[in-house]
Amino acid sequence: MNFYQQIASNKRKSWLIVSSFFVFVCVVVYVFAQVLGYGSEAAGLALIVAGFSSFIGYNFSDRVVLSLSGARPAARDKDFEFYTVTENLCLGSRLPMPKLYVIDDTAMNAFATGRNPDKAVVCATTGLLSRLNRTELEGVIAHELSHIKNYDIRLMSIVAVMVGLIALLSDFFLRWGMFGGSRRDNKENHGGGVIILVVGLFLAILSPIIAQLIKLSISRQREFLADASAAKMTNYPAGLASALAKLSSDREPLEAANKATAHLYIVSPLKGGKSVGNWLANLFNTHPPIEERIKRLKAM
Amino acid sequence: MSVALIVIAILLVVGFYVMGVYNSLQTLLTQIEASIQEIGNQLKRQANLIPNLQSSVKAFLKQEKSIFEMLTQARKSVDKAMVDTSAKSLEAAEKQIQAVLPKLQVLVEDNPELKSNETIQQFMSELRDTADKLTYARRALIDLTQNFNQKLVTFPSNLVANIFGFKKQKGLVTPLSGEHIEVSASETGDVKVDL
Repeated sequence: MNFYQQIASNKRKSWLIVSSFFVFVCVVVYVFAQVLGYGSEAAGLALIVAGFSSFIGYNFSDRVVLSLSGARPAARDKDFEFYTVTENLCLGSRLPMPKLYVIDDTAMNAFATGRNPDKAVVCATTGLLSRLNRTELEGVIAHELSHIKNYDIRLMSIVAVMVGLIALLSDFFLRWGMFGGSRRDNKENHGGGVIILVVGLFLAILSPIIAQLIKLSISRQREFLADASAAKMTNYPAGLASALAKLSSDREPLEAANKATAHLYIVSPLKGGKSVGNWLANLFNTHPPIEERIKRLKAM
Repeated sequence: MSVALIVIAILLVVGFYVMGVYNSLQTLLTQIEASIQEIGNQLKRQANLIPNLQSSVKAFLKQEKSIFEMLTQARKSVDKAMVDTSAKSLEAAEKQIQAVLPKLQVLVEDNPELKSNETIQQFMSELRDTADKLTYARRALIDLTQNFNQKLVTFPSNLVANIFGFKKQKGLVTPLSGEHIEVSASETGDVKVDL
């Protein structure tokens, strides 16, 4: 597949996952509503709580992440390559120039954040800037700019709201639904009530995990999309592929990163142990395995 | 009654669609124009680097009379292009710059003294950067033109484009046939590098 086709296919796939996620959320809310009898109010409350916390994250994530990471603003004369490469890629893809930051850390990584292209931030570690050549750096920055151009930060915030909603609802269900009893008159639905109660209980336990897994699979899909968009932006997939190869040989975890911000980085900053080709381990990763990403880039 | 409503609704939808396609085509046309100007802008930036370069490598260039003369010549035509801002003189200036840059590169590579000079180092990376900027400015033009031309040939936006008589945009003018897309017999052989 060339990169035009890869971009289109990744966009289709991620919309498929997002919409099936939405359907899943609706089903869970419906089942809980059936069991509890006051599910819609609970769902409304949960939506407000989850929405509020994610809204805070969405609007201030750039500042929060940057202050956590201890980043300093990049300057054209000091970080010449970083600055000019970003400038050029923005020129080519007609994006506004993002704010650039540098984290003083020998681990090699980079991330992008900000809710829209006008408020975007791209950040790289000194380890990355010093060890990649200009062509490789171009691939990495193009990947980060693709996240901005594809509104991935916005998408992941919406997904986070839905995951939070599910988590809160299950919590409500297990606390109040089971022990507080249902408000609904039990005589009305004697036969179906038991089944739906079992389904509800089942969902209450499993749905937070399922929601989390769907969120991670969306995150991985967006990584593939950003790789393909980066290949189109630079017209040189080999640059990003060689950068990824260098990044994968760097086993040093990034100290400033944590689970909440892991999906923003170009490669997973946590790196717990070796990256095994185990599908079960992959299910819980924010990023697809680097080998697979390199393979797809080389096929373009 | 309800039939009339349905007809009105359909007409409205079609009307909005036509308006949307028309506006996006017009927007793309202005963006294509802007991206062409951007290429000119970057050419000027490249040209403006020359006086800068001349002062920093002057001492070394004394032995290399021909390069020095080429630089002066290029600078003159850049100045001329700045005044009349025509595409032709800008192009001529660019050609001269393109001719002299590789020679400079060789000069720098051959002189360890120059190579280790920080000003020159800075200068060489500035040069690479400007060259990249030109590439990316051209790419923006190519992408925008592709976008525009695609709407002209795909259904149903091609119908709207035909009604208003939109014409295919040239984009980056490249001959669609010729040596650059042909492979000669000598090029298919293995590459031998003598070290």
